[in-house]
Amino acid sequence: MNIYAIAYKNLLRKKVRTALTAGGIALSAWVLATLLGFNKGYQEGLNRDIDNMGFQVLLTAKGCPYEAATLMLKGGTGLRYMPESVVKTVFQNPEVEKVTPMLMHGVFDPNKGENGAVAAYLGVDAVSFPPMKPYLEFKQGAWFKDNKALEAVLGYEAAELETREVGDKLLIPGIDREVTVVGVLKRSGTQDDGTIFLPITAVQKLFNREGLLTGLGIKVKKEADITALENRLYDLPDVQVVSMAQVKTTIMNLVNSARVIVMGIAGIALIIAMAGVINTILMSVMERYAEIGILKSMGAMPLDVFKMIWAETAILCGLGGAAGIGLAFVTARLSEAAVRYFLPYAPNGALVALDGDISGFAFGLILAGGLLSGLYPAWRAARVRPLEAIRIEGEQ
Amino acid sequence: MKKLIFFLLLAALPGAASAAVGCDLNDPDRDVARLFPGSTGYKTRYLSIKGSGGQLLLERVEKRLGDKFKGLYETMDVPYTLYDIYKGKEVIGYIHGVNQKGEYGGIQVFLALERGGTIKAFYIQKLTSRAAKDLRSKKFGTQFERLTLKDFERYSPGKPVSAPLKLEAPAKAGKDFQAVLRAVKKNLILMDEFVFSKKEK
Amino acid sequence: MANNTVISAGNLSKIYKRGSEEVRAVDGVSFEAAAGELVSIIGPSGSGKTTLLNMIGCLDNPTSGSLSVGGRQVFGGHKELSEKELTAVRREMFGYVFQKFYLIPTLTVEENILLPGAFYKAPGAKAARDVMGLLGIEKRSGHLPGELSGGEMQRVAIARALINGPKVVLADEPTGSLDSRRTEEIKGILRDLTRQGITVVMVTHNLDLARSADRILEIRDGKIHTP
Repeated sequence: MNIYAIAYKNLLRKKVRTALTAGGIALSAWVLATLLGFNKGYQEGLNRDIDNMGFQVLLTAKGCPYEAATLMLKGGTGLRYMPESVVKTVFQNPEVEKVTPMLMHGVFDPNKGENGAVAAYLGVDAVSFPPMKPYLEFKQGAWFKDNKALEAVLGYEAAELETREVGDKLLIPGIDREVTVVGVLKRSGTQDDGTIFLPITAVQKLFNREGLLTGLGIKVKKEADITALENRLYDLPDVQVVSMAQVKTTIMNLVNSARVIVMGIAGIALIIAMAGVINTILMSVMERYAEIGILKSMGAMPLDVFKMIWAETAILCGLGGAAGIGLAFVTARLSEAAVRYFLPYAPNGALVALDGDISGFAFGLILAGGLLSGLYPAWRAARVRPLEAIRIEGEQ
Repeated sequence: MKKLIFFLLLAALPGAASAAVGCDLNDPDRDVARLFPGSTGYKTRYLSIKGSGGQLLLERVEKRLGDKFKGLYETMDVPYTLYDIYKGKEVIGYIHGVNQKGEYGGIQVFLALERGGTIKAFYIQKLTSRAAKDLRSKKFGTQFERLTLKDFERYSPGKPVSAPLKLEAPAKAGKDFQAVLRAVKKNLILMDEFVFSKKEK
Repeated sequence: MANNTVISAGNLSKIYKRGSEEVRAVDGVSFEAAAGELVSIIGPSGSGKTTLLNMIGCLDNPTSGSLSVGGRQVFGGHKELSEKELTAVRREMFGYVFQKFYLIPTLTVEENILLPGAFYKAPGAKAARDVMGLLGIEKRSGHLPGELSGGEMQRVAIARALINGPKVVLADEPTGSLDSRRTEEIKGILRDLTRQGITVVMVTHNLDLARSADRILEIRDGKIHTP
């Protein structure tokens, strides 16, 4: 017989009470592990999404974005433009590794749905754009080679909607021009899945936007100081600098503020669970007063009794913590679905990223909380004087 | 400001795309009321050939259609959206859509059907064609009203339209007219397989 | 004190204060008990017999007087023993048997018997088997206390008291919860212990059991009553 075996068996005396207390701990462990996993997953997903854009800085033309949004949604040409010469200017910066020019144009198609909708086409450079997006793979065909060609590459979902395969024609409404599909991409899990890519010069010509761009993607050298580059770019006339790093930071700040609140709630759940632990163990000590007195009469030192009661708390929290973390793993995908439903923006990929580190940390926290909660009941039990305990039992 | 631009770009890029693989009504509340005036509600179901009979069903449908399922997007596991239309507690009809490959883009053809399978209304939700305006016109659409699957029995995709079908193709419709007919016949066959034959049993 | 004296109590007193009143639960009791002796303490309720037993067993501190157990001065010496030291004395010298058995309900018979070993000098399974054999409960070793009769439970309690090889067994109303048949069995067991050199001091209301002892101490109003 040892103290830990006695402690475990003591917990089995009141199975329902033990189960309920462990259940409370499991719930708070589940919340804690899921939140920590979400925090990690969201950050990783965000980094991945932004990295998948292929460039760290995006230049767009200066202008009111609300106006641009409205005009875009209503149909086509209200976007602000930058001159192509900005490419040369940007390339003069030593931090810049690559740039890729983009021209987006939207066309109102009255034959999409009851009230029509905008069909958007993204003009990209045949040479510089594909290397920026190495993760894009083709289901059929390949990228266009010539910037002037009347050819199109469709993202997976765009192709599915239009039932297009390589060799099919695509009709651009409004201007009544045909382009040939030369490539259909595989599903990438990014916004590119819904994009129709055309060669940039072709877009400029088709929509009379020669020499103009709506965006310039900038890939920065690995060790370069992005902030220094951005500061210089701010000085360029008529352009806006959209830093993915800043966007990332902005989004993460938003998520972090929500996270602080949610972690606070998780903390409260933990405290409540620990209060339940104190209550359960203390009640158990009170119920066993005489028994503890007998143990002392058998030769149990105060430290032995303290260790025994403390071990009960540790076992309870260990079991509850393990169950809660196990539950977090099992329900990770469900939690993800719920988060995606409620959040306005959620990156692709696993949102709840549980791993050994997170599980270990959550488990450690629960256990530490439990051991802290167990201190008082264990101390009370250690202080029991054998005779008083037996006497109280006798009076009962 | 920058955050907004970022979101705008993300949101604006796939202007025409939705994640739908099947064929859903863009605004079911509005469209059901329009296609079935007097209805009080609807329920949405998703069916596929794979889930409703698999390879055997596919072969039967192809035989009845007179054409094979083709290409990347016409497969056994495509989900078909079926709307059961209610008046009170009674089912008064159905709305069903299919996606058909057209000359320049996907064509979404919806049929509103009465309980017996007669076409009550014809609706092209999406179409990219030089004859789009004419193909989506009321004049073209009313040609399909009161038709049934039986009327399409002698029609085969790609072949000229013959009696008893009397349907006029708009000028400039080209291959898209044939595509629309194929979509209608496929729609009716699938409805027969998914709903009407089962009811008889 | 003779060479085989195990317990030697000198003028033990226990005084409680109840408001301004002093209650002398035990008043100047002196006695000795030798190895292998069976001593019974009798007296009316409230006479102080259990208080005396508790002091002998180092479960309670006397107000005055001296006590030595197994040659070691426990009370009344130069230095007062700490709770830790008293616990050490208890576990080396004594085994306790109570009226209410106090078995752990979730431990089997064998586990209950081995319980003292969790805190001191873990005896092996063989020692447990030996003591179960001595008390005739080896066939019940895997059972829980809830599955035992009163007599069996008291045997388990006695076995537990013996597992660490005590010199003295203190029994407070060991047959209080038992019927006459079981009482006879326990009487026999306690006598058997003395044959092994273990001193048994028991408090009892049962005169028949009391008379089976080598010596009877009658306590009245906290004092030893000599007729």
